[in-house]
Amino acid sequence: MIYIAIILGCIIGAILGVNAPVIPYTYSSYLSIAIIAALDTVFGGIASVLKGNFDLKIFLSGFFGNSILSIALTYLGEKLNVDIYLAAIVVFVGRMFTNLAIIRRYYIDRWVNLIEKNKKNKDINPEIESKEDSN
Amino acid sequence: MKGKITMTITIGCTALILTMIMFTQFKTVDKTDITVIETMRETELRSELASWRDKYEEIEEKIEETNSKINEYEQELQNDVNTANLLQQEVKEAEGYLGYTNLQGEGIKVTLQDTEFKSITYSDLLRLVNELNAAGADAISINDERIISRTDITVVNNIKILINARRVTSPYIVKAIGDKKYLESALTVKNGYIDEIRFEEKLIDCTVEDNIFIPAYEGTYKEKQDFNYAKENKVEE
Repeated sequence: MIYIAIILGCIIGAILGVNAPVIPYTYSSYLSIAIIAALDTVFGGIASVLKGNFDLKIFLSGFFGNSILSIALTYLGEKLNVDIYLAAIVVFVGRMFTNLAIIRRYYIDRWVNLIEKNKKNKDINPEIESKEDSN
Repeated sequence: MKGKITMTITIGCTALILTMIMFTQFKTVDKTDITVIETMRETELRSELASWRDKYEEIEEKIEETNSKINEYEQELQNDVNTANLLQQEVKEAEGYLGYTNLQGEGIKVTLQDTEFKSITYSDLLRLVNELNAAGADAISINDERIISRTDITVVNNIKILINARRVTSPYIVKAIGDKKYLESALTVKNGYIDEIRFEEKLIDCTVEDNIFIPAYEGTYKEKQDFNYAKENKVEE
């Protein structure tokens, strides 16, 4: 159900995005930093789901809050003539990699466990396996 | 159950927003290459503007330089034109002196004619030309043969009179441009030229005219002499 919602959202979003008007290049840097922040939040959310401590409120507040904050910081940096968005990108991308590592480890662990389980099953019930083979 | 639906919708909406923004951004980045100037950052535009302004100023300076040069050339041209005009005027004046121009103006017309007993000699003509020159004639001609500075009036066999190496015959019409009163009085003065000629019983007639036409000299100076022998005397003082 959730996966269907995600896929549907992605498709509709892609269609809307392709048909949306082109925004000025001046604002596109803000948008890109917002996208990075949102992606970071999404990966964080996936990691928390895998960990089992997912909270919708935290996810939503992170999704919008991080985006808006990063935009505000970029704007401030523009005013101060400092490239703050670089710092934001470093932080967000770093966290993204951390979350990706968590996700990767979780799935590798599961995969390894699955293989080991299969091996154990083979060792314990070789007769059943052979019977099934003969059938 | 209700919480799960809410969560599903919320996450779907989040995915929608995220992808929408992402695709918008993709499109923007794609289009940026095409419409570079329209979507450039203000800072880039500013630097571009500054560079263009520099170029503009440079070009303006060049234009000023070129304009000043053009002015200079124009002035020079004007000078050249003036010089050319002056030279042309001088040439014209020189031609006038040399007798290369047709002239007309007030003056006198003297007609000398042979009679059955007496004929006009070349010395009569020479004396007449001399008298006229002394009286300040601007130009003289005999039978439309222009008398110039190096004209020769010669005689062959005491019969044929040659002027400018061309034969002239009676009647001799001598025309002179100048102050008509001066010229006339120079000839008609008592015991003057006319009296002398009449004394010799030759026919002479002198009329004053307001418009006398004298043709140009037809030969060239070069034909006559190229200064083969004469050299400039460079004596240092």
